[in-house]
Amino acid sequence: MAQIEGTYGLLAEFDTPTELIAAAKAAYGSGWRRLDCYTPYPVEEAAEAIGFHSNRVSLVCLIGGLMGLAAMFGLETWASVLAYPLNIGGRPLYSWPAFIVPAYEWTILFAGLSAAFGMLAMNGLPAMYHPLFNSPSFRNGATTDKFFLCLEANDPKFSLSETKKYLENFGPLSVVEVDY
Amino acid sequence: MAHAPEHGHHARTLPANLGAPAFVNGWRRRALIVGAVFSALSLLLAVLDHSIDHLLRAWLLGFMICFGFAVGGMALLMVQYLTGGKWGLLVRRPLEAMSRTLPLVFLYFLPIGIFAKKLYLWAAISNPAEALKSGLISAAQAHAIAFKRPMLNLTTMWITTIACFAIWGFYMWRLNSLSLQRDSDTESPVHYWTQKFENLSGPGVVIYSLTLTAGVIYWVMSLDPTWYSSVYGLLFLVGQGYAALALVILTVLTLAKGEPFKTILRVTEQHDLGKLTFAFVMLNIYLAFSQFLIIWSGNLPEEIPWYLDRIRGGWGVVITLDFLFHWLVPFTLLLSRDLKRNRKRLIFVCQWMIFARCWDMFWLIEPNFPDARRNLHFSFGILQYAAVPVALLAFWSAYYFFQLQQRPLVAVNDPHLAEILEPDHAHA
Repeated sequence: MAQIEGTYGLLAEFDTPTELIAAAKAAYGSGWRRLDCYTPYPVEEAAEAIGFHSNRVSLVCLIGGLMGLAAMFGLETWASVLAYPLNIGGRPLYSWPAFIVPAYEWTILFAGLSAAFGMLAMNGLPAMYHPLFNSPSFRNGATTDKFFLCLEANDPKFSLSETKKYLENFGPLSVVEVDY
Repeated sequence: MAHAPEHGHHARTLPANLGAPAFVNGWRRRALIVGAVFSALSLLLAVLDHSIDHLLRAWLLGFMICFGFAVGGMALLMVQYLTGGKWGLLVRRPLEAMSRTLPLVFLYFLPIGIFAKKLYLWAAISNPAEALKSGLISAAQAHAIAFKRPMLNLTTMWITTIACFAIWGFYMWRLNSLSLQRDSDTESPVHYWTQKFENLSGPGVVIYSLTLTAGVIYWVMSLDPTWYSSVYGLLFLVGQGYAALALVILTVLTLAKGEPFKTILRVTEQHDLGKLTFAFVMLNIYLAFSQFLIIWSGNLPEEIPWYLDRIRGGWGVVITLDFLFHWLVPFTLLLSRDLKRNRKRLIFVCQWMIFARCWDMFWLIEPNFPDARRNLHFSFGILQYAAVPVALLAFWSAYYFFQLQQRPLVAVNDPHLAEILEPDHAHA
């Protein structure tokens, strides 16, 4: 596999989410598309600021849930009606009220697992290596109290000197170049 | 602005006037007009039906819904003090206003208590053995009425009802007066007030669940003296939470068209309230279905007729719709994250849920009566269910809006206030 080399992007570090969001909105507004925000806790507005639109995880979760429902309800119906038709207290073989509870449990189980694995499958995790961890400020602050905006080198607007100046306009704590 | 302390530069400021916006006056006027029109309609229906039987049944429905808002709202108020959280600050004053409608709800009870003999079989039958001989009631009914006599008699019913209302009245008074005192008291430390409210609300929630159970057993469950269910109180408890939460969200979202809610309502808290509603929708169907599953599995002659009365003879349509209205529709809608964050759509879901609660109550009440059980049929009387509860709810709403106008809509002496005024992203 070819080794990727060169600059991954420019990383600006902010003290508050408010500043990060202002910068991210401005960058997105002036045409940046290869950019990302990194925050120590979920910040909904940061995702919205960089044009993040709804993803497919909720759809995968829904389909998973429906599959779980169908699988368990089908299994119970097959077992009670076709495979082992037993007379239990004179009740009909197809006693749907009794099938609801396990079917419901499987809906939850399948929906939960599909959401978790769907999320992992679609967000690129687990990742063994990410260039941003080359930046010491990122290693120290990204999971505690700092907010980062990264403008990536594969955006057509990227230019090492211009972009660095552009980011400095937002008053970050630091702007560093991150290598692969 | 590079190192702004505490993100303060974006925090909003509360408007000077925290009172209800002027358009609440318009709501009140409209509610009174609706109330008057539907009262006239129900009188007309009573004349056409040549009886007040259905008027009383529908009155019971309207009473139970208004009661759910007043007392369920008060319970939610106490829960909110116990759990904490920013959503609580948002709904506190509307919930207080709901709880202060209790005197009106007690007035609504009076016709039920006075005409109890027209509603409750156990009140109408003074001598079960004789009534059985003359074929008025079945053997099961005669046995149940005689056996449950120490509880199911008018004196005990009045005593229980008045005791319950007195207890709720006490809590209503304490919660409301302390809340105003807290607003004006800036001297005491924060935990003084949080603890005071926690100490009041903790036992309050327990007492609420016990008194509520007693109330609903008398007012609704005993309409059929033969049947009982141990989850009944809990079902109403969750149902009250379901409806009271829907109404309070509806209030907050519509009040947000003007100040002060325009300033303090953030999408984050709206989303949280939507999620809480979703939890109530799930819990509600969970309990309702558990009760059904247990009775269906047991298939005992003492219990199963209650369901058969409510499934056969056309009632199957009502219960199927009940399931759709009460659970499937709000459940599927509230699954969506975008919907919970959209004001207009969440308002629609809340209105829908209040309607669904009324529909469910119709299914609980009407099949208790001999002319309606296993026989859903048209009469002018049955139309009362579309007239009387609307009138009662409209007058109740007018009183509720009046109560909303009595106080500032935001409790100011609360640590959450500063947080709620910050932008959405400021805190995890």
